[in-house]
Amino acid sequence: MALLRGKLRLLLVAGACLIVAQALGAADAPTESQVQAVFLFNFSRFVEWPPQTFAAPGDPFVIGIVGADPFGARLDEAVHNEQINGHSLTVRRFRNISELDNDNCQILFIDRSEIARLGQILTALDHHSTLTVSQADGAAQRGVMIQFATENNRIRLRINVDSARAAGLTISSKLLRPAEIIGTGAKEER
Amino acid sequence: MSKSSTPIRRTLMNMIFLASGVVLLVTSSAFCAYEFLTFRSSSIQQLQILTRAIASNSTAALAFENAEDAAGVLTAFKSDPHIVAAALYDMRGKVFATYPQGLGLDRLPARPGSGFAFGRSAVVGFQPVAEGSKQLGFLYVESDLNAMYSRMKLYGLILVLVAALSLSLAYLISRRLQHRLLQPILALADTARAVAERHDYTVRAAPTGAYEFDLFTDTFNQMLTQIQGSEGKLQAQVGRLSLLQQITRATGERQDLPSIFQVVLGSLEENLPIDFGCFLLHDPGAASLTVAALGRKGSRFGEHLGLLPQSAVPIDANGLSRCIAGELVHEPDVSRVSFPFPQRLSGAGLRSVVFSPLIVESQVFGVLVCARGEAEAFSSRECEFLKQLSEHVALASHQARLHGALQQAYDDLRQSQHTVMQQERLRALGQMASGIAHDINNAISPVSLYTESLLEREPNLSERTRNYLTTIQRAIEDVARTVARMREFYRERDAQLTLERVEINRSVQQVVELTKPRWSDLPQARGAMVDLQTYLADPLPDIMGAEHEIRDALTNLIFNAVDAMPTGGALTVRTRRATVADGETRVLIEVTDSGVGMDEDTRRRCLEPFYTTKGERGTGLGLAMVYGMIQRHSAELEIDSEPGKGTTVRLNFPAVTSSIVSLPKAKSAAAVKRPLRILLVDDDPLLIKSLQDTLQEDGHLVTATHGGHEGIEAFAAAAKRGECFDIVVTDLGMPHIDGRKVATSVKGVSPTTPVVLLTGWGQRLIATNDAPAHVDKVLAKPPRLHELRAALAELVA
Repeated sequence: MALLRGKLRLLLVAGACLIVAQALGAADAPTESQVQAVFLFNFSRFVEWPPQTFAAPGDPFVIGIVGADPFGARLDEAVHNEQINGHSLTVRRFRNISELDNDNCQILFIDRSEIARLGQILTALDHHSTLTVSQADGAAQRGVMIQFATENNRIRLRINVDSARAAGLTISSKLLRPAEIIGTGAKEER
Repeated sequence: MSKSSTPIRRTLMNMIFLASGVVLLVTSSAFCAYEFLTFRSSSIQQLQILTRAIASNSTAALAFENAEDAAGVLTAFKSDPHIVAAALYDMRGKVFATYPQGLGLDRLPARPGSGFAFGRSAVVGFQPVAEGSKQLGFLYVESDLNAMYSRMKLYGLILVLVAALSLSLAYLISRRLQHRLLQPILALADTARAVAERHDYTVRAAPTGAYEFDLFTDTFNQMLTQIQGSEGKLQAQVGRLSLLQQITRATGERQDLPSIFQVVLGSLEENLPIDFGCFLLHDPGAASLTVAALGRKGSRFGEHLGLLPQSAVPIDANGLSRCIAGELVHEPDVSRVSFPFPQRLSGAGLRSVVFSPLIVESQVFGVLVCARGEAEAFSSRECEFLKQLSEHVALASHQARLHGALQQAYDDLRQSQHTVMQQERLRALGQMASGIAHDINNAISPVSLYTESLLEREPNLSERTRNYLTTIQRAIEDVARTVARMREFYRERDAQLTLERVEINRSVQQVVELTKPRWSDLPQARGAMVDLQTYLADPLPDIMGAEHEIRDALTNLIFNAVDAMPTGGALTVRTRRATVADGETRVLIEVTDSGVGMDEDTRRRCLEPFYTTKGERGTGLGLAMVYGMIQRHSAELEIDSEPGKGTTVRLNFPAVTSSIVSLPKAKSAAAVKRPLRILLVDDDPLLIKSLQDTLQEDGHLVTATHGGHEGIEAFAAAAKRGECFDIVVTDLGMPHIDGRKVATSVKGVSPTTPVVLLTGWGQRLIATNDAPAHVDKVLAKPPRLHELRAALAELVA
């Protein structure tokens, strides 16, 4: 009897733990946008900008977001107190391309909300050494340099090397190796 | 060489092995330690490099959370098979990817650490994964140590092989080096062994060509040369010592100087050696030396030198005089010395000479001369040797002399002892003879008296009777003389010997005639022939002596000569006159035979009484009597004899000088005319009777009494009666009261009455002038009638 009662109690405890764990996991598990925010920041380490990208040495390294901001405060947290080659990181948010103007960004996240104006945006960025990133499907084929693609609940990178090269950016081979290389106008898989 | 000592070969080998082994061990240990440490650090470095590369490659995978890519990157660890585990941790410490894939989390550290460290069986390390300054995570890697162990094993194997090879090489090299190093030592050792075993010091070690060894070899050879020299000197010294010992022993066995000298010279000539050696004897006070002995080799030179035994060598100023002073003189080259004796030696071809003095009791009594043909041929050691030898020889000579003196003293002592014994025997014999003589004299007294009386008083005797009586009388006289002579044996010297002129030639002729049966007839009966020749010098002076003794002596000598020639031979009797240095004339009688002769011992002892070579036939008194006669006559006796060559006995008498006159002849007895009353006292009835008869026939009144007692009483009684005896004739030797007491008693009664003493010892009493007190005349028995008459006439008239 005692044994039976012991097993029962153990079963109960295990069950309780499982429930708690699931709840915690759900609360703690990073969302897609969270991961993308970190990735966005990480790009600064695997891409080399030409030296003239900064007008002045003290200019901040600017990560811009155009369109809706999927990251919220998370991006700000990710870049907080970070520096790239002596340049402090700054996040700037633009509602549309017009706000970009003369403001120079090193990384520009183009939210899928702005995908309709992608051409306009890319044109605007011509002659600028700005790494363009988007989560919109097919963005890479359309000239965006890095596209987040979600496969099997994992975020994969699709990189348009031609676009990057055209912008005078050098993407690290390390970044290229786990990524999917996409040419401009290439057909999107799936 | 001891068994326990290790050959240098093995020691060297051990040294080389030990040295190379230690070097090898230290080197390889250092190498191994270095390899171990460097391998550790290098393996960590390699691991770090690999890890860093892979970490670098995995940054993107971490940054963009691509686990597949991370796993793919980690597969690069396949390039190192020793990496057994690897894992990527993200910054939260969560394992992001593992190598090999599917590695259980329990194999990995729960939390990432930092740095690389050696564990028990593996190297583990964490490498931060960073892109730029941004750390993305950690790479954990674990590499097992098999690589290091296998490498260490390889090193160990190589080490063993290298050690084996090195030691083999060391062995070969050391063998070769040892050969070079040891060969000279072994060669030297062989030489030393050859020297030690064979005692051959002429061997020399050959040079090896190596400086140090040649130094050693040279020193060794020098040492050998020195040893060789010392050995030679030692041998010579030992030789001289043994020669000295040999000579000393040889001289010790000899007791006479000539033989000692000969043996010394012989040994020196043969063994030292020398070419010439001689002994010179020095007479203190004389200025020359006498050659006492020459060596055999020396005799050859001796003739050249004019040195012959007993020749004299004058002492010259240089060598010999210094030698006589007790100094050893060495002349290295006599040809450069101008003194005579060295020049003589030089002339004989001798160059170097040593004169060595013979010293006894700090007195030089001789010189040993040693010479050699070459100049400077005597070393100082030989001189020293000769000096020592001379001391030994001197000592031996001294001992020989002492021995001779001792022998002489011993012989004299023995002779004296013998003489004393003989005298004792003779004394006993003499006493016995004296007793016998007394009895015989008593016994023959009546015969003598009656015979004389008959011949005198009986004119009518037939011729034949007279002849017989005369013969009896001569025989009695002979008996009396024989008895008298018999008592002479024990007399030392009869000072009162009645000496008269003796004509020697006549005595010789008488003796030769008397002994003819002995030297002629008896030998002829045996078939032997004795040829007797007499050579008598004429004229020959007379001598003073007792003729009968001389005749007896000659008789004895002739008998001895005949006895010495059992198979016959020549017997010569010779008399001659000789004049000695001081002008005294002497008469010599020589009896020479060609018989067997006498050896030295016999010759020396032949004069001893009772010494005889004739066995039972001889009395041993013959020559003793001759000697006694010679002594009594102050004469000399010489005996020359040699075994097998015969004997000559020479009697040497002093000749009579003209001042000595011959004794007057006994005057004829003057008889007493008137009859006398005579008292006869004797204990022998026969003698009393015969004396009484003969005296009564002369017309005397004779009273005969037996014994002293009776005689004294008779004399006293007659004196009382007033009929005193005119004369008393008494015997000397009587029981109880002898003749002396009778005489004393008679003189006590009548001092004027003469007393005549008759004695069997009469001649002795006469000779020793031992006439007792109160005795007026001593007459010998047997009494002669004419003597008796003369005494009576002398005493009573």
